[in-house]
Amino acid sequence: MAQKKLSVITSQIMPGNSKRQELIWVLYLLPGLIVYALFMAYPLFNSMRLSFFTGTGYTLNNFIGFDNYKELFFNKRISSQFLGAFKNTWIFFFVHMLVQNTLGLLFANLLISKSLKGRNVYRTIIFIPATLAIVVTGFLWKLLLNPQWGALTTFLKFIGLSSISRVWLGDPQIALIVIALVSSWQWVGLPTMMFLAALQNIPEELFESAEIAGATNWQTFRHIKLPLLRPIIGVVSILTFTGNFNAFDVVFAMAGPNGSPNFSTDILGTYFYRIGIAGKHPVGIPNMGMGAAVATVIFLVLFIGVGILRVLTQEKKGLK
Amino acid sequence: MERKFLKRATAILMLLIIIAVPSIFAGGNKENSKSGEVVTITMGSWRTDDVTQMNAVFDAFSEKYPNIKVKFDPTNPPDYNATLRLQLEGGIGPDVMYARSYATGVQLFKDGYFADLSELPGINENYTTGAKAPWTTDDGKTFAIPFVAVSHGIYYNIDMFKKNGWEIPETWEDFLALCETIKTAGITPLANSLGDEWDINEVVFMNIAPNFIGGSKGRLEYSSGKRKFNDEHVVALFQAMADLEPYLPEGYAALTYNDNQAIFSMGKAAMSFDGSWTAAAYEKDDLPFEWSVFAVPAPKGNDSYVTFHPDAGIAINAASEHRAEAEILLEWLGSSEGASVLANSLPTGFFPMSNNALTIENKHANAFIKLNEGRGLDVRWPWPNLLGGDPSGYELMQNGSIAVIKGTMTAQEAADALQDGLAEWYPPAQN
Repeated sequence: MAQKKLSVITSQIMPGNSKRQELIWVLYLLPGLIVYALFMAYPLFNSMRLSFFTGTGYTLNNFIGFDNYKELFFNKRISSQFLGAFKNTWIFFFVHMLVQNTLGLLFANLLISKSLKGRNVYRTIIFIPATLAIVVTGFLWKLLLNPQWGALTTFLKFIGLSSISRVWLGDPQIALIVIALVSSWQWVGLPTMMFLAALQNIPEELFESAEIAGATNWQTFRHIKLPLLRPIIGVVSILTFTGNFNAFDVVFAMAGPNGSPNFSTDILGTYFYRIGIAGKHPVGIPNMGMGAAVATVIFLVLFIGVGILRVLTQEKKGLK
Repeated sequence: MERKFLKRATAILMLLIIIAVPSIFAGGNKENSKSGEVVTITMGSWRTDDVTQMNAVFDAFSEKYPNIKVKFDPTNPPDYNATLRLQLEGGIGPDVMYARSYATGVQLFKDGYFADLSELPGINENYTTGAKAPWTTDDGKTFAIPFVAVSHGIYYNIDMFKKNGWEIPETWEDFLALCETIKTAGITPLANSLGDEWDINEVVFMNIAPNFIGGSKGRLEYSSGKRKFNDEHVVALFQAMADLEPYLPEGYAALTYNDNQAIFSMGKAAMSFDGSWTAAAYEKDDLPFEWSVFAVPAPKGNDSYVTFHPDAGIAINAASEHRAEAEILLEWLGSSEGASVLANSLPTGFFPMSNNALTIENKHANAFIKLNEGRGLDVRWPWPNLLGGDPSGYELMQNGSIAVIKGTMTAQEAADALQDGLAEWYPPAQN
């Protein structure tokens, strides 16, 4: 119906010119295209252009070709920090995939079950952290994990397990995992909701016939739910991937801009912030050309990564 | 239906633009400096905590010069250098502004954003050459008036010291022995921690450094290439950092600077390395016990030094339209009248640098000033020369301090890393 209306309008604007009429859709794309080009595409390409420049302060006027990239990958002192952040980002991503998304899938399966009492209450509880600001949750968790008066330390002491108590955010071996778990805790509501919505869309008849055929719960999950969830698993994976490779705030809130201790929680977001935005304390003047180079590398990783993930999780056409 | 909606949306949009455009252009709000009219000059700063105090100072100024008003416009401290640079490059910088000491300030002067104040009336009478040095280039041009300095020391809980009969240590060796005694008594000796990283560097390492390298005289021997950055003095300095490890609070690796102050405030630790600015916070919190500061004791046989650091100068924007008024303000701040207003308005722990500054009444501020008597003074080690390269001396000292405390590096390795890192860009470290 909307299409019909559209053609009525277009024929009113340009009567009797069918060639032009065919191209009229361009007009409708234009506002969106202009906004996108101006605020998304132009900054992106300009940032890529700036990655080939250097200069003092904020004036980048000295073309240096690929020198920023050479420094980033081959100057040992710089590359060790950059590659460390790159590695940490992958760890950060895998913890989210493993904990946040698996728990999301589990919660969604529990929430869909008809025998569960108070489903809405659980659903709200699971989703609440996602509505809070990271600065708030990061600060709260920092307090909970505080080795002097943190609730976790106190609790472990109380139940006689102080031997497993750690300096959670001060130990380079575990700090990154701890922060990734806090972030997973915060965002687990999103995949839960997405999986839940997808599960609710599965036709009831499928479950009924499975029940009649005598399928176990696991078999129903494995052979009915999982295949039908495949596209949504793809979407969730891509969102997790882009979200984590752009992540910054949770590490900044819990471990500061340096990714302390000893850069063990440094991820690409905090690394970029230090190089391209904040500069090094106490001088605080960023190296913007290098920052642009880091941003370009992050963009390329995302671009390639999303491409691969799409291929991996797309529905095979033959099945339809 | 849809067309009607579009029309309405366009109308609303146009209306918004009509409302917004004049206010954008009116934003400049230029006030002429013709006689009789009031000129408002803006002052950029990183001291967001001092708005009330500075406004009191400027009220006193405007009483004497009713035609000049000053608007204090501070930026979030960590963003100040970057924001200021952006403003100056974009031509929208404040008329007068706080200037960082040494390289950071010098760079802005060399790039032409700060006015040359070498000829400012009263600048030679109101400030000593030493006070001006952090804002003076190698060829003797001064680009800011010295404004405030901060000091460093060791805070201690007087009540706790009295109760246990502990004495203020005379030497670094005594200090370590005292830490051991306190620890044996079941109390955490020091409140310092590693979680925020910058503080172990600025309030501990740079606080004790002059006592180990021999103050400014020793420091200049490093910058002239006479000493190497991994000589026995620096190794001893890093070793001193490592020696503090057993006396830090439990879980120090994750405790932050705020935790550090909370631990001391709650009486859970006997001492805390910190800067004079924290005195203002402790006074505000009205700690339930008597506290004061003592100077970092030097190792046996070394002279004692206090890290008395020039923190802020005030510079004039070279492109300011109100240069004359700005100069009047700066001249007044250094005069006996302005300096005495400043001395009594600044928060505890910030010390005016004018020769005309009166004696300060506050007892905690006085305790800090007393530390200077009979001791040499020096600035934070990396500030004069070691901030300008990559890796900076600041960064290397911070990483080294953390590494020796955590035991991932020996003192010798940390000193070698300092020498090797600086040798990458700093000529005196290269021979």
